[in-house]
Amino acid sequence: MTTAKRRAIIALSLCGAAVIAIIVLTVVLSSNVVYFRTVSEAVAERATDAGSRFRIAGEVVPGSVVETGRGVEFEITDGKKTARVVHVGDPPSLFEDGAPVVCEGRWGPKAAFASDRIMIRHGNEYEAPDVDSGSAAPGPLADRSAGAGGAGAP
Amino acid sequence: MIDGRSALRSDRLMAPVARRVVGGLSVVALVALVVVGLFVAPPDAFQGDAQRLMYLHVPAAWLAYLAFGVTAVCSALYLWGRTRSLVWDRIAGASAELGVVFTGLTLLLGSLWGRPIWGVWWAWDARLVTTAVLFFLYLGYLALRRIPAALDVRAKRCGVAALIAFVDVPIVHFSVTWWRTLHQEATVFNPDLDVQIEGTMALALWLGVLSFTLLYVYLLDLRYRLEVLDEDRDERDLEAAIAERAQGGVPSAGTVGVGS
Repeated sequence: MTTAKRRAIIALSLCGAAVIAIIVLTVVLSSNVVYFRTVSEAVAERATDAGSRFRIAGEVVPGSVVETGRGVEFEITDGKKTARVVHVGDPPSLFEDGAPVVCEGRWGPKAAFASDRIMIRHGNEYEAPDVDSGSAAPGPLADRSAGAGGAGAP
Repeated sequence: MIDGRSALRSDRLMAPVARRVVGGLSVVALVALVVVGLFVAPPDAFQGDAQRLMYLHVPAAWLAYLAFGVTAVCSALYLWGRTRSLVWDRIAGASAELGVVFTGLTLLLGSLWGRPIWGVWWAWDARLVTTAVLFFLYLGYLALRRIPAALDVRAKRCGVAALIAFVDVPIVHFSVTWWRTLHQEATVFNPDLDVQIEGTMALALWLGVLSFTLLYVYLLDLRYRLEVLDEDRDERDLEAAIAERAQGGVPSAGTVGVGS
């Protein structure tokens, strides 16, 4: 009798813990499951958006980057729509023309996205640097011959 | 509870010589990983040398999946009446402990990789959050194992918990497919099974997986043996306390409460 009772209590408390865990997970993820909006989505929602904070993802339009006193201004595109981003602060080291970025901030004046954080969203493809063009990533590849052995140890 | 052990004569998972061989092989594979990962494989075209962290981060994550998978299977084998044996419970506990270590390592290495590439140490995206949840779920499982109870009671209780906790493993793996995340999609086990990695880089990755897996087998056997020794010691302490009380003496401070 007591064993059955104890077993029931254990089973119930485990189920309770699982339910709590699922609720917490749902609450935490509900605002973050869509980690970013595409440029098209963000532009479409701009008219109805009441200045809420969100993330916008796209590629930096080559040639659009302008350094300002407080940070950088550039254009971001998802291939369909383009938006202007005014960023305050230092961009990450891999920020460059064509880089896939996620910017955090809100719609500001003059239909520009006021960003205060830029993250680089790289893909899942890994390849050796292209020797011919060498233009893919000037920073990390500047000294390719030393790359294999020199600055190696992470 | 003692029957399970003596009947199966399983105070270790493998012969000591086998353990040493596995340990030696894992060291060889780790050395090969260092050579290929740092010197043979080229730096990534976009990420440069920071991408080499992948050769540790991905194997660590793979090991967390493997360890928790073993915990789940062994827990099920214990809970199923016909295969019930404390051997399964011990493997489950030992494997979960290793899984927690490697999940922690995955989070740490991922953070170190994220800072130079993404630009942030941490992001509240689905992959990272579900992985952190995984870490704490199994930390809870290990806490549950520490609650004093008879071995069979503990095994049953933890077996159920292990099966519940395992639900998060596929959620972690598919989070990058199901939701939009900052974290990239899987390079190897993606939905298209289309491996997106250059040859020698893939070699480094596989060496990482191989060496970590061998290390896991080695450590699992070692941890299992430790668990058996722990149980033996508890049992001896209990017998000593009983003997002391039978003689009419007051139990000494050291043995009070043991096995209660």
